[in-house]
Amino acid sequence: MTKPLRTRAWDAITSLKLTIACLSFLMVLVVLCTLAQVELGTFGAVNKYIKSFLVWWDVPGTLWMIPVLPGGALVGLVLAVNLVAAQGRRLELSWKKSGLWIIHAGLILLIAGEFVSSVFQVESQMAIEEGQTLNYIEGRDLELAVMDVTDPAFDEVYSIPDSRLARGGTIAVPGTPVSFQVKAYYRNAELAPRGPQDPPSPADRGVGASVAVRPMPPVSRDDQVNQTAAFVEAVAGGRSYGTWLASNVLGAPQSFVHEGRTYVLALRPRRQYLPYAVTLKKFSHDVYAGTDIPKNFSSLVHLSNPSRGERRDVLIYMNQPLRYDGKAFYQASFGKNDTLSILQVVENPGWLLPYISCVLVTLGLLVHFTITMRRSARRRQGAQEA
Amino acid sequence: MQDRVPLTILAAVLSLAPGCRRDEVTHARVPKPAPAEGGAAQAPPAGMPMMPPPGMAGDVPPPPTPTGSSALKWKLPQGWTQSLAGGMRYATIKPAAAGRVDVSVVVLPGAAGGELANVNRWRGQIGLPPIDEPALVSARKAIKTPAGTVSVYDFTSEGKVKTRMVAGTLSAGGNSWFVKMVGDADPVGSSRPDFIHLLETLRFD
Repeated sequence: MTKPLRTRAWDAITSLKLTIACLSFLMVLVVLCTLAQVELGTFGAVNKYIKSFLVWWDVPGTLWMIPVLPGGALVGLVLAVNLVAAQGRRLELSWKKSGLWIIHAGLILLIAGEFVSSVFQVESQMAIEEGQTLNYIEGRDLELAVMDVTDPAFDEVYSIPDSRLARGGTIAVPGTPVSFQVKAYYRNAELAPRGPQDPPSPADRGVGASVAVRPMPPVSRDDQVNQTAAFVEAVAGGRSYGTWLASNVLGAPQSFVHEGRTYVLALRPRRQYLPYAVTLKKFSHDVYAGTDIPKNFSSLVHLSNPSRGERRDVLIYMNQPLRYDGKAFYQASFGKNDTLSILQVVENPGWLLPYISCVLVTLGLLVHFTITMRRSARRRQGAQEA
Repeated sequence: MQDRVPLTILAAVLSLAPGCRRDEVTHARVPKPAPAEGGAAQAPPAGMPMMPPPGMAGDVPPPPTPTGSSALKWKLPQGWTQSLAGGMRYATIKPAAAGRVDVSVVVLPGAAGGELANVNRWRGQIGLPPIDEPALVSARKAIKTPAGTVSVYDFTSEGKVKTRMVAGTLSAGGNSWFVKMVGDADPVGSSRPDFIHLLETLRFD
């Protein structure tokens, strides 16, 4: 007699074969992702293989894309459902199985933690020179920063994400009379001084009028940066303030004045301002005596948070981040002849979940082995007494 | 199977939520950094003109500050103060008038793009359309000074709150000098006679 569809589906979801298949897919994805980093860079490869629900293949010579593998997100989701369902179906609710319950809970928490990280984790960086004080961190994405610098004490900074620029159309800047009409947006472009052969620039204000912009395919490798460019027309109070070229490779910001207020435009890495400031007092690049082999990288920073009356020095070095206000500042890189320190800043509300899941799995294994050992010891004792 | 549906919906919603947030225009009020702490992130003061067309990259070293006989000097009107900064923004002058008004002295090597391009850039900064060469000539007023002939331009923006700009340009010793007063129309207007007097005292020792 054939089983009903519902029963067959339940059997499939709770099957151990599905668990093995998911784990196999995860291993394949990890290998493919590792290999793909050569071409795509770390972020590109992780986005394609691990953070996606499907892995797509671009059919050469066409605009077609075909899904060829389940992505890490889909496999993780199926694995989580499989573990939950299998646990509910197979494991009996008894003390002797308590270790297995704890192990399963730890594994499910590990997968859930990865989902939380992939959705909510924000990675930024702080590139800071010795003696410099910064109150912001910068992300990988770009922003068109519109800064009202009129007030002598502070700037009103409005951030238009480059993803919003890419959608085009008119962008109103809330709280100001200013809006921008996106005339063109290039994720990556080559910028060069405009020659006599180049067509007229869409920009009629600022440096853009003398710059030629040639679209280029976007890059995704870690050691390459997209030279993003956008032509935007600034409009305020019903009057046009001209079309400007904004790009992250232009050396200086540009500005216009409307009704007595000065607005500065700059396309730059997206900033997140902090309620505290970090000053780099010293960056150290230690080497083993008599060699050039690095021994340690460290940044001595001064943390100043006036709202909490907090002022203290912190030493950041390998695997010893500064954890403050929900963010972790890791020593990541350096430059400018050892006077520039680059700190990776990670904000992850689920950062504790992997630790908790590891503790749970370890605890579950200990409980399970202890119970099994006691049961085995009792059997042996029983056999001896018999 | 039933377990998958809510989880899939949850994952889709969680994926979309930050996506929506990332596309919004956000706002932050940021205190201006103290002068000693000013790094590359320091914004120009209110009303300060942007530098003439910059290099394509931000790491082009600024030209050397003119010194000795090639350094521009002037007589400061009564009640005005100044700070000599060096670099392209050679000096910042604060007129005696209350209100938003700022005077800058900027020096650049060579022709710095030409007078018409610079004048149109200034006009663009206050929302005025560009002008052509004949209009430039009619807008120009010449002032004889010990340092040479200074071309003076005076523009006022449109709109309810008017911004006024009075600027003098001088080519001397292979450099282009820009002495410019920008700010709200009233304080700029009341400071204009003193500013013109300052221009008349420009000299090279």
